[in-house]
Amino acid sequence: MMQNFLVFRIGERLFGVRLQGAVEIVSWERPRRVPLSYSYVEGVRDYRGIVRLLGLSRPGPIGFTASDGKAGGNDRSVILLREGDWPFGIIVDAVVKMANLDDAVDDTIDVEGMGAQLVRGVRYEDDQEIILLSFERLFYAG
Amino acid sequence: MDASNRFLILSLEGEGFAIPIASLLEITVPRNIQKDPKLSEVFEGKTAYRGKLIPVVNLKKVLKLAGRAGGGLIVIKSSKGPVGLLVDSSTELFESRDHPAAIPRGILNSSLQYYAGILKNRDGLVLLLNVEGLLP
Repeated sequence: MMQNFLVFRIGERLFGVRLQGAVEIVSWERPRRVPLSYSYVEGVRDYRGIVRLLGLSRPGPIGFTASDGKAGGNDRSVILLREGDWPFGIIVDAVVKMANLDDAVDDTIDVEGMGAQLVRGVRYEDDQEIILLSFERLFYAG
Repeated sequence: MDASNRFLILSLEGEGFAIPIASLLEITVPRNIQKDPKLSEVFEGKTAYRGKLIPVVNLKKVLKLAGRAGGGLIVIKSSKGPVGLLVDSSTELFESRDHPAAIPRGILNSSLQYYAGILKNRDGLVLLLNVEGLLP
């Protein structure tokens, strides 16, 4: 089934999340770090409640390490999403576009350096690879 | 406002953490901490408090924060008796109008019981420490 996805860039990779779950895009501010949190958690932020911020470019079992070293910086954005009752944010280098893409989950996809529970599938548009993400399994696993 | 809404804000490597005033016994500086090989590595040793030796925990080691042991000592009550916590400094007594917000799921392993919630003060978010959960 075709769905609208919000496409964003981290480093030189493009990712997509279902637009349906996206609440808002806000500018990045230094989050409150939480000692001993998972490697992909950059911290928490107060934005109409406590929001956890995920940094997918942080090394670890879930995120990937941006091989080009271009991820990061203070001009990043935060895409606020909602999964169940808990809001969360993904820290991205730039929001690129909206795209109408096939929503089907493909469990056989293996994206190098990324945790399998985070990847919903891979699509191609304008010769560009877009990695579709799903956070359901990430949160309900931990 | 009752004591359950009052907190001591302490600093570790520039970040604020809170403990309930109700569990606070004393704010002082560490003196003559004696090493005790029977204690685990998060303890710096023991120090005298009101005529007894009490264990002293290096909070930075518990929370796996970099940096040297703090230069301030907070003595708290725990179910195991008084315990000293080494911190960088005690910065504020804070009354919160709101109850602490819950730690969102998916942030850290749920078996770690180090935090009791999140408070908001004028400087931003402060992690409320779970005094009992911190102690090994």
